[in-house]
Amino acid sequence: MRTVYVTGVGIVSAIGIGVAANWSALNAMTTGISYSKHLNSVLKNMLPAAEVAATTAELAGIYGDTGNLFPNRVNIMAAIALREAIKNNLVAATAGQFGFINASSVGGMGDVEDIYDALVDPDNHDEKIIPLGETMDCGFGTQELARHFNLTNFIGTISTACSSSANALIFGARLIRNGLLEGVVCGGADTLTRFTLNGFNSLKNIDKNHCRPFDANRNGLNLGEGAAYLVLESDEMLQKTGSKPLAIFSGCCNYNEAFHPTAPSPEGEGAYQAMKGALDLAGLSPEDISYINAHGTATLNNDLAEAFAFHRLFGDQLPVFSSTKCYTGHTLAAAGAIEAVFSVLSLKHQELYPVLNFDTPMPELNLVPLTTVERNIPVKHILSNSFGFGGNNASLLFSRYD
Amino acid sequence: MPASYSAGMIKPVYIRAARAICAQETFPQNELPDQLADATNNTLFYKHPEYSKYFTIMQLRRMSRITRTGLVAAIECLADAGIKKPEAIITGTGKGSITDTEKFIRNIQEFKEGTLNPTPFIQSTYNSLNGLISLHHDTSCYNTTFVHRGHSLELALTDAMLLFNEGSIENALVGSFEEISPEHFIIKQKLGYWKKEPVSCKELLAVETPGSIAGEGTFFFVLQKGPEGAMAKLHAMRLLFEPTEEILTEAIKQLLEDHQLSSGDIDLVFLGDNGDIRHKGNYMAVAGMFSNEVHVQGFKQACGEFDTAAGFALWLAVLAAKNQRIYEGLTIRQGNRPSYKNILIYNNYNGQQHSIYLVQQAH
Repeated sequence: MRTVYVTGVGIVSAIGIGVAANWSALNAMTTGISYSKHLNSVLKNMLPAAEVAATTAELAGIYGDTGNLFPNRVNIMAAIALREAIKNNLVAATAGQFGFINASSVGGMGDVEDIYDALVDPDNHDEKIIPLGETMDCGFGTQELARHFNLTNFIGTISTACSSSANALIFGARLIRNGLLEGVVCGGADTLTRFTLNGFNSLKNIDKNHCRPFDANRNGLNLGEGAAYLVLESDEMLQKTGSKPLAIFSGCCNYNEAFHPTAPSPEGEGAYQAMKGALDLAGLSPEDISYINAHGTATLNNDLAEAFAFHRLFGDQLPVFSSTKCYTGHTLAAAGAIEAVFSVLSLKHQELYPVLNFDTPMPELNLVPLTTVERNIPVKHILSNSFGFGGNNASLLFSRYD
Repeated sequence: MPASYSAGMIKPVYIRAARAICAQETFPQNELPDQLADATNNTLFYKHPEYSKYFTIMQLRRMSRITRTGLVAAIECLADAGIKKPEAIITGTGKGSITDTEKFIRNIQEFKEGTLNPTPFIQSTYNSLNGLISLHHDTSCYNTTFVHRGHSLELALTDAMLLFNEGSIENALVGSFEEISPEHFIIKQKLGYWKKEPVSCKELLAVETPGSIAGEGTFFFVLQKGPEGAMAKLHAMRLLFEPTEEILTEAIKQLLEDHQLSSGDIDLVFLGDNGDIRHKGNYMAVAGMFSNEVHVQGFKQACGEFDTAAGFALWLAVLAAKNQRIYEGLTIRQGNRPSYKNILIYNNYNGQQHSIYLVQQAH
């Protein structure tokens, strides 16, 4: 099977637009969690969220000419991140040989939910509203972006809740490994919506304060929004593009545990198998791992199950770990790609980003996540986890490219 | 240039079992009845199986309609294949559980974002059915869901083929599920998806107007590596995004060539013609590639139009390969080929996603 390289990254999150802004916020330990200004929800002043500060119109201004792109929030956010990932016109230079695997959990819901009644009213024929009927599913945005960036060689959309873009990266890497593609752009995008805010609130797992991953007193997640894309290339494609790899995408695994529709098994079987599968594919041992970017949503169930999985896989040799969801919030389908970008930054800059708001280790396991930025340490291999509803566990393994 | 992965990259797979739930009585006998049900108000709604045979009333109360059809189709498909625990569960759906999405939107309004029942939210996530199938069969394995309109099922099948290629599995459960609701019908009506005038299914392919009729369907397949006990062989697929007519017909020629076939080797063609005059040209062009000896059939006059309708064609193709018979009621052009060894499916969804399948007799 062939090697898969990461050659480009692009990101929009609550801690910044673009890789540089995200990188400085992580280094400064600045969170993007506050209260939503744009969301039309009675919960927005009660439940903190990590919102991209710019309005949709401002995002469009930042992007410039949106051309043929349907200008809803999720598309523009995605386009900004995607354009950054494929900078230097990589795609055009290779005559449209790149594939595109995108992910979203609610697609264009953010722009639809406020006009939904008009949309389904048979007597409402407002020409501005009707086209939004196309934007609800996840495939629409993918298609728009594919047309806009000429990424039409092989297009797909994955939606597996919170592990969506991790699975998009896995599928893209496998398309290269199996020789179907030489290059593919993978990632995902989700915006804050009243729909998802109420959804997670109905599951009673949103913290009314800033989330505290792996803390004994953690009390749930904060939702976020954002988009991130990674460019993956084979050796053959590197010859054509002349890209310099930022990292090697050396392993991955998707493992769905049959336990419960929305909760992990207490012993973290799914997380354990996903991480182990990623190690096996890369031909690495647990002791090779320098750092784990945990799923770490700060819900009661997730962090404990994930910590048990760490304990089982690594025993007393637990690598440094943290969760970056205390910066970006839980961006649902975008989370896997956002955290993959952070993992690539860690490898590139040889530094690790800590959790925020940590005070007391969980009594069950007494594991302490990283709480300060670590610099000038050797970072060789990183596991990045994303777990979704339905027991859907995905683990990605990124390795340093020298 | 649209997608066209090179031949030989991805090995054929075998279809061991195939199940369909749609507007026709396809489920009890796993065949298409000779008498086809007609649409009501330009919609072909599900003929629901006897769910009480599978679930208690309490269980059913918590399950939405698409969850029921999906679970039951998966259960019977695995039973047909004699497999208790599939090694991969992969689905495709354009819209997922529309009912649950609508219900949760309504609940948010009605209860003013107060205390809400999380069930519709959970079931509105596109991969919730996959999770339930895995729970029902107590099987932990590779599991993913593609949500890419008219290529949702095709990507799920491609993903399974990759897993076989990687040598990581012996079998996979692959399927698609889709539903239509009154609200979703209106959304799509305004977008021009449906015919303005009421139309009978018998007339659907003859009426020269824009739009089609709505449908819904759930289709599941058990795929395996080898031919033992298989019903049919999924030899190859091509996925194209908004191709020109020329690129489309070229892709079909190329697909056949890649597998040492010519148009003369095809015995049966299924076309996804949905009666929409705007897409007629593509279907005519593809039909025109084959001589009059080749049987040409439609399938959307029986299942209606939806993102994953090609699943119905795949089910029909599997039955044709296995039973060596076709259903007169679906004929567009009567051929004279005595057997069905090589079957081609061509479908497009709203002119955007075009799919070509090559299905063969298993043995």
